[in-house]
Amino acid sequence: MRSLQLLPLVVAIAFGLTSCKVVKTASKSTTSTSDAAQSDGADPIAKVAQETFEPKLLPLIAQKALTVADLRKAVGAGLDAAGAASGNRGAGEGAAWNFAVKGEGKIISANLTSRARKAELDTDGDGTADLTLQLGPVINGTALRDVAPFYNFGDFRDQIEFAQLARALNDLASARLVLPDGDPTGKMMSFQGVVPLKSAAEPWSVTAVEAAVLP
Amino acid sequence: MNLKRRLLLSAIAITMAGALPSLAAAADTIAIITPSPDNPFFKAEADGAAAKAKELGYEVLLMVHDDDANKQSELFDSAIAAGVKAIILDNAGADASVAAVQKAKDAGIPSFLIDREITSAGVAVSQIVSNNYQGAQLGAAEFVKLMGEKGEYAELVGKESDTNAGIRSKGYHDVIDQYPDLKMVAQQTANWSQTEAYTVMESMLQANPGIMGVIAGNDTMAMGAYAALEAAGRKDVVVVGFDGSNDVRDSILAGGIKATVLQPAYEQAQLAVTQADKFLKTGSTGVDEKQLMDCVLINGENASKLETFGLSN
Repeated sequence: MRSLQLLPLVVAIAFGLTSCKVVKTASKSTTSTSDAAQSDGADPIAKVAQETFEPKLLPLIAQKALTVADLRKAVGAGLDAAGAASGNRGAGEGAAWNFAVKGEGKIISANLTSRARKAELDTDGDGTADLTLQLGPVINGTALRDVAPFYNFGDFRDQIEFAQLARALNDLASARLVLPDGDPTGKMMSFQGVVPLKSAAEPWSVTAVEAAVLP
Repeated sequence: MNLKRRLLLSAIAITMAGALPSLAAAADTIAIITPSPDNPFFKAEADGAAAKAKELGYEVLLMVHDDDANKQSELFDSAIAAGVKAIILDNAGADASVAAVQKAKDAGIPSFLIDREITSAGVAVSQIVSNNYQGAQLGAAEFVKLMGEKGEYAELVGKESDTNAGIRSKGYHDVIDQYPDLKMVAQQTANWSQTEAYTVMESMLQANPGIMGVIAGNDTMAMGAYAALEAAGRKDVVVVGFDGSNDVRDSILAGGIKATVLQPAYEQAQLAVTQADKFLKTGSTGVDEKQLMDCVLINGENASKLETFGLSN
């Protein structure tokens, strides 16, 4: 019994000693390949975002975008019907309908000092703000990912990867948003973006992919 | 070797004996296996699943694994031996639970997972989990706002074996790390525990008296941290939790903790039972295995509508 237990130990020592150098090199090269594999592991998501953002996502938003007035009318008649007709639902129970939307409005107020810049717009001319535009660089939410039918939760390993995709798309959108210096309050702003809605009554927060202060 | 085998056999004998009474019942039974109901979140889960199972005409076998994968494995043996028709599970470890769920599958018993994912697909029939990442981002965005986008803060992380501890922490940092003026000065696990959070918070505060905010991976840790802050006369510190418990709701309404994120635990457990019932009757749930449920931010504006992990309209 005891000799049987000792045997593998002896073998291990013998092999361990003779193969010392080999093991070291092998482990070194394994480390570098696993490093490469790791950065490859982080890349696929960014790659998906890069490869789809401009060729597929932006055209989808541009093509499906309703004007603010038309979308309000459709949502007012029933969120689920409006969603089925011109929106896309995020993954899972309780997820929002996401609608591409475009328009312009008067800037009632703007917070451009926050890392999550925002402008409050009046799009129907009644003098009060009726939607909030997210202008980056920090963009909250997953509207850009969830507006597109070609990003499926089931295609991703887990909710972290799926969330990384949303973040990568937000960052790509954010990079496109360049605002002029100075307080834009009172000026007109045009935009295109996505609004996620869980209920017809909730305030609109639009994630912009395009925004410009009009002269 | 012999001793091990004998121990194993006696363990099986004990679980068999424990399973016998329910075996005698023999009606269609659904096993509900969760972590300890000491945490009201898991109690809400077990209650929700049990209520729905009874409503649909099943007997219920309630079991608790105490976050111990070995114990969970034994409970699966009991459930299999008891001839349950389906298992509703909030599991004891993303990797460690795969074998147990597979064991049930091999015995012809489908499992429906709630709250926590496992690392293999195609073993369970359903995996319905809260979108913890989305919820963490909501909580973090509120935390950032409450902090005025700046200041020193600490993070209390959950139990390492629980996949949601890591997911929430990542979700928090995905948002918070985009604000360079927010500086994390301490980060430590308190294992989801209120008492542990109290002592961890005490020492964090001693080492970093400049802390202005604490973001916690769940509500019980948020409660522990807030108690420690209150004892130190630091009620000014912003505390944000996760889960949407009644305790934190009451603290928010009393002006203590500032916000939490609701996981619809009760509804989620009921959905799992509904899918189990459909699967048993038709052979399919009709939906994907992996399903997410969105979380909801709870703060002073809507806390009064929160009751037992559900939000009234």
